[in-house]
Amino acid sequence: MQATKSFERAFLRQLLRVFRLSAVSYKSMSLQERKSAIKLSADVAMASARGSRKWTRGLIAKLSEEDEHRSFLRLILGTEYERLTKPCHGSWKIPRSKKIVRRSLRVCSRRKNNLRAPHGFKSSVLARTLVEKRTHALKRLVPGGESLDGYSLLDEALDYVISLRAQADLMQKLLTTFEASKLSALSKCTLPERKASFVGK
Amino acid sequence: MSGRGSRITDEEINELVSKLQSLLPESRRRNTGRVSASKLLKETCSYIKSLHREVDDLSDRLSGLMVTMDSNSPQAEIIRSLLRS
Repeated sequence: MQATKSFERAFLRQLLRVFRLSAVSYKSMSLQERKSAIKLSADVAMASARGSRKWTRGLIAKLSEEDEHRSFLRLILGTEYERLTKPCHGSWKIPRSKKIVRRSLRVCSRRKNNLRAPHGFKSSVLARTLVEKRTHALKRLVPGGESLDGYSLLDEALDYVISLRAQADLMQKLLTTFEASKLSALSKCTLPERKASFVGK
Repeated sequence: MSGRGSRITDEEINELVSKLQSLLPESRRRNTGRVSASKLLKETCSYIKSLHREVDDLSDRLSGLMVTMDSNSPQAEIIRSLLRS
């Protein structure tokens, strides 16, 4: 399972746009500031390319928490900003979902536990606590996940993971292409020019 | 996905779980039937964290190559050509 071609294109398009908008400030940035700006740009591009999901809204909201980001985000996203930061009334809570997920997943672990039957009760209590603990951990990792449960949380996590994977792959592609173009630019110089460009560094 | 007042079926859960499993690097390698809830959650959490680290590292490396990003920079041209392909 992977992100669609249209997501990839939207991501690149948004990234280009964001870079263009921040080009002026880039020049006065330190390396560290540039890194943060690039990371922010990549996250905005990812959320914007994906559209309206619980995690994209959660991500934009989290990024907006910092004052300096908020005006930047407004600039980048324009009218989309309001839509993406509006509190989501469409989110549903399915009260039974947690039990349903655990019920179907526990079928597998119960088969394993039968081999060590005597402490069945204790181990299932432990298993339940572990699931709760890890569910809370997942809620903190998926933007907007705090208000989700069970099926919805897993569903959102799935979508988030697919998008993160695509974001990383695309950034890697950019890195590789940038590096390759730099090398080819260097190799196109004649020898004296090449020496000069190294000295200039 | 509105109107989710109805119960979620076991089949839907199974499908979601197996989709998630197919993405997780550890689960893929193991390739056994099914994994426990706690294991699935643990691996999803660690995969997300590793993806975060990956993007962080890539941002770092990209920042070294992008001193400028105005429209006529070589980097901007590269992104445009990727969009054209």
